[in-house]
Amino acid sequence: MANYLTNTNEEKKQMLEAIGAQSINDLFCDISSKLRAKPLCLSEGLSQQEVLDIMLAYADQNKVYKKVFRGAGSYYHYIPSVVKNLSARSEFLTAYTPYQAEMSQGILQSIFEYQSLICRLTGMEVSNASHYSGATAAVEAVLMCAERKRNTVVVFDNVHPDTIEVMKTYLSRREMVLDIVRTENGVVDADLLANSLNDNVCAVYVEQPNFFGLLENLSKIAEQVHSAGAKLVAGCNPIALGLLKNPAECGVDIAVGEAQPLGLPMNFGGPYLGYMACTSKEMRKIPGRIVGQTLDADGNVAYVLTLQAREQHIRREKATSNICSNEAHCALIASIYLSSMGSNGLKEVATNCVSNAHYFANELSKINGITLKFGSEFFHEFITVSKGNSKAILSALDKQGILGGLALNDDEILWCATEMCTKEDIDRVNEIVNEVAL
Amino acid sequence: MKTIFEHSKVGNLAVTIRPLTVNEYKLDANLLRDNLPLPEVSEVDIARHYTALSKRAFGVDDGFYPLGSCTMKYNPKLHEEIATLSGFCNIHPLQSSDTTQGSMAVLSTLSTSLCEITGMDGVTLQPCAGAHGEYTGLMLIGAYHSARGDFHRTKIIVPDSAHGTNPASASMAGFEIIAVKSNEEKGVDLDELRKLVGDDTAALMLTNPTTLGLFEKNIEEISKIVHEAGGLLYYDGANLNAVMGIVRPGDMGFDVVHLNLHKTFATPHGAGGPGSGPVGCKKELIKFLPNPHIEKNDGKYEFVNSEESIGKVTKFYGNFGVCVKALAYILTLGGNGLKEASENAVLNANYMNANLQDIFDTETNRFCMHEFVLSLQKLKDETGVSAMDVAKSMIDKHMHPPTMYFPMIVHEALMFEPTETENKETLDEAIQVMRDLFDDAHTKPEYLHSAPNNAVIKRPDEVRAARNPIVKM
Amino acid sequence: MSKIYYSKSHEWALVDGNTAKIGISEYAQKELGDIVFIGLPEIDDVLAKGEAFCEVESVKAVSEINAPVSGTVVAINSELEDAPELINEDALAAWICEVEFDGNIAGLMTEDEYAAYIK
Repeated sequence: MANYLTNTNEEKKQMLEAIGAQSINDLFCDISSKLRAKPLCLSEGLSQQEVLDIMLAYADQNKVYKKVFRGAGSYYHYIPSVVKNLSARSEFLTAYTPYQAEMSQGILQSIFEYQSLICRLTGMEVSNASHYSGATAAVEAVLMCAERKRNTVVVFDNVHPDTIEVMKTYLSRREMVLDIVRTENGVVDADLLANSLNDNVCAVYVEQPNFFGLLENLSKIAEQVHSAGAKLVAGCNPIALGLLKNPAECGVDIAVGEAQPLGLPMNFGGPYLGYMACTSKEMRKIPGRIVGQTLDADGNVAYVLTLQAREQHIRREKATSNICSNEAHCALIASIYLSSMGSNGLKEVATNCVSNAHYFANELSKINGITLKFGSEFFHEFITVSKGNSKAILSALDKQGILGGLALNDDEILWCATEMCTKEDIDRVNEIVNEVAL
Repeated sequence: MKTIFEHSKVGNLAVTIRPLTVNEYKLDANLLRDNLPLPEVSEVDIARHYTALSKRAFGVDDGFYPLGSCTMKYNPKLHEEIATLSGFCNIHPLQSSDTTQGSMAVLSTLSTSLCEITGMDGVTLQPCAGAHGEYTGLMLIGAYHSARGDFHRTKIIVPDSAHGTNPASASMAGFEIIAVKSNEEKGVDLDELRKLVGDDTAALMLTNPTTLGLFEKNIEEISKIVHEAGGLLYYDGANLNAVMGIVRPGDMGFDVVHLNLHKTFATPHGAGGPGSGPVGCKKELIKFLPNPHIEKNDGKYEFVNSEESIGKVTKFYGNFGVCVKALAYILTLGGNGLKEASENAVLNANYMNANLQDIFDTETNRFCMHEFVLSLQKLKDETGVSAMDVAKSMIDKHMHPPTMYFPMIVHEALMFEPTETENKETLDEAIQVMRDLFDDAHTKPEYLHSAPNNAVIKRPDEVRAARNPIVKM
Repeated sequence: MSKIYYSKSHEWALVDGNTAKIGISEYAQKELGDIVFIGLPEIDDVLAKGEAFCEVESVKAVSEINAPVSGTVVAINSELEDAPELINEDALAAWICEVEFDGNIAGLMTEDEYAAYIK
């Protein structure tokens, strides 16, 4: 019913006359009648009001939790109004990729600022304009490292399972090998890493914090990886980087990660934002768009898409990647988020996450029958063990409108606490869990 | 204009969060960073900075945007409201399926609708963009041949007029690329194609309408040639906006298609993304689609994994928030409305084309589909004014330039795609602008060489940018 | 005495006994336009005649440079790394690398032959 069309029948008639066609159907004369489609078997068009009703009904069939203690790759954080409001401006939302620099300075500058913010967060020298998700950014980063004589990628079993799955897919039809290495006590083990390193390894991928929430010793891993002639790619949670040593300081070659925590809602898994940053040595290998600063014909500062010779529209099959559309609007949201949080704000969010999570873990571990699986330091996620109780615990919380952690199996739950919860919320969860565990 | 960093003053704070309600936990000092050089600005600084940036940008809401092959149609406001409903955006991807039936219904209904529109049997919504969809579709093709023990099908044939993503995606999926030449009508040269296909052919990738905006009349013959050689036919959905409800890729003989929801299905481009690149396929290829799939059993949606799947291509289920908007669009237009959208897209393109043909060269004398390509070679020879000069001059007239220098087989190409959401008045204005610029090219070419003359910057020095890259501050 | 030879793909080789400096022709430089980057080979790389051994980028194009002779790289002109525009300024002075080779120049053209070839 609504169709967003704009011409009256009279105007259409005039247009057809100008074209020299009798009817719109004439315009399709190149398509043989044999091929022409039957009327599409879709419902009749609807009014906007009806569509809103249908979509509201779908939304109502989902359960929105009042409190969320689940992370595992999608994080519930406070999204400031200023982020939502400014990013929704239609000049940003309805623009195309800024190929026409003179008309897109606002977009180009915003991407330049995004790249700068990501570089400051990671300590790296070059950032691209975004990738689809943390998982695809990780994959394309390890592909950047591939060399003629080195075709093996090492990952660990404490990396996000989806990232491992995506790596398997991307490496499967290339002459590359994925070596999934076991970890000890939840973190990368120096001996096991040493055993897996050899002359064929081009890249090692780790996460900080890892899927179990634990912090890795990146500097030590980097040293080991480099001494074997391979490169280290690290997937770092950007909120954690508000506190943690940045990946460049630790010797990481390419920093990537899921930047959904920077102002993007959980959105049932997407759209998210893969960030990707590297040292200037790797600049001409990094996939995706990059904005550079230059001067215009009058000598004024201007921004343009640059180093385009890397990209598919010029290099075609020899391009480092096929990426074209990225997650630009999500990158804009992340920029506004980082700018409005600032150094102190981001540190504060990270501090609240780590403090709430430690209080939470400590309280849970006081409950009889519940222990923490690992002993080493963590950021805002941790795993509890409670014999056979996962389901019962989560369903008790669910009844109270609380989304508990992710059940990894019958005994283990991966919990997450962010700045969104208070002591009161955590105490309430502990009470409920305590009742179940008793 | 200043960057956000130049607004920074130590101690400024834009956003405040709830103070800690538990004791502060201090991580070991050797884990911590020394400094975090993010800007420190007030909320009003942020608001003014980003508002100023937005005023130096140009979206579909700002004016005519005839970017060929990009389908810059209007993005309905309703969709934005729907996508931000709490029941959609506050759903964790790993909630139990009991609590996400609404989201799963959205994905399932959208998949079914896209199957009907394309004539395919199965669809995945996981790919996040067109190129990501191409990659996924080609992986399906690889898996299909491998499962049949046909390991020698390593070559993908791509027309020389194809978009650069086609060969790039094929290469990422581990294939070799062979280009097939275009014939005089800029379609696939059938004799060339017959010579190229063989038992090493995995697939032919094609857009139809072609990148010239013309319907590939020989599509049935092309399908026959490729299939008889044992290959598959891949449909690049970049140009689907011309043919919804008019002809379906599945009926033309295509086995795999990718769509761009951010083109054909009216979701906003967001200055480069996020998009969504669903992939559809015929029955025989369904089992290879990325994991997980959604199935409905006993009235309940469930995520299911298949053994033979190519695996995952991104985290979770793809760009759900984009899918929500596309479904709202399809529900609004309905089957007839989608057809009407395509008809009007084609009408608008032909109207513009018809009114420019006397002064610019078009590629053929046929009716175009939803877009058309002009060659400004003659104008350049006569006046020295290039396609680039004309495009940049359009900026001074508050119109977004068309796609320039694509497809590469046309010299001095400008490719216009007005889309169905523009009215005759806008098209008439654009036609007049093009005619005026044609005259200006003859009378004051220098003015066009220096265009744009009224934009916020003059032409930027791209050589300088690439020689000494400054990519951060 | 060194002598310059050209390949059909517009590279030059300045041959002096068993060494040759390699670069691209003035004609190739003009065709490429403003060069913004060159990916130089490394010392000890083995070049095969007619095969690509390095890439040059202009703003809107990438081109491969083919080896005019087969040989082993003994020196590279690292000045080009930071100033690829030297190729635009004087293509015959801007050598890319020097190779040691067996002196085989079969298939290459003399300066005069090349001048006729590009006409």
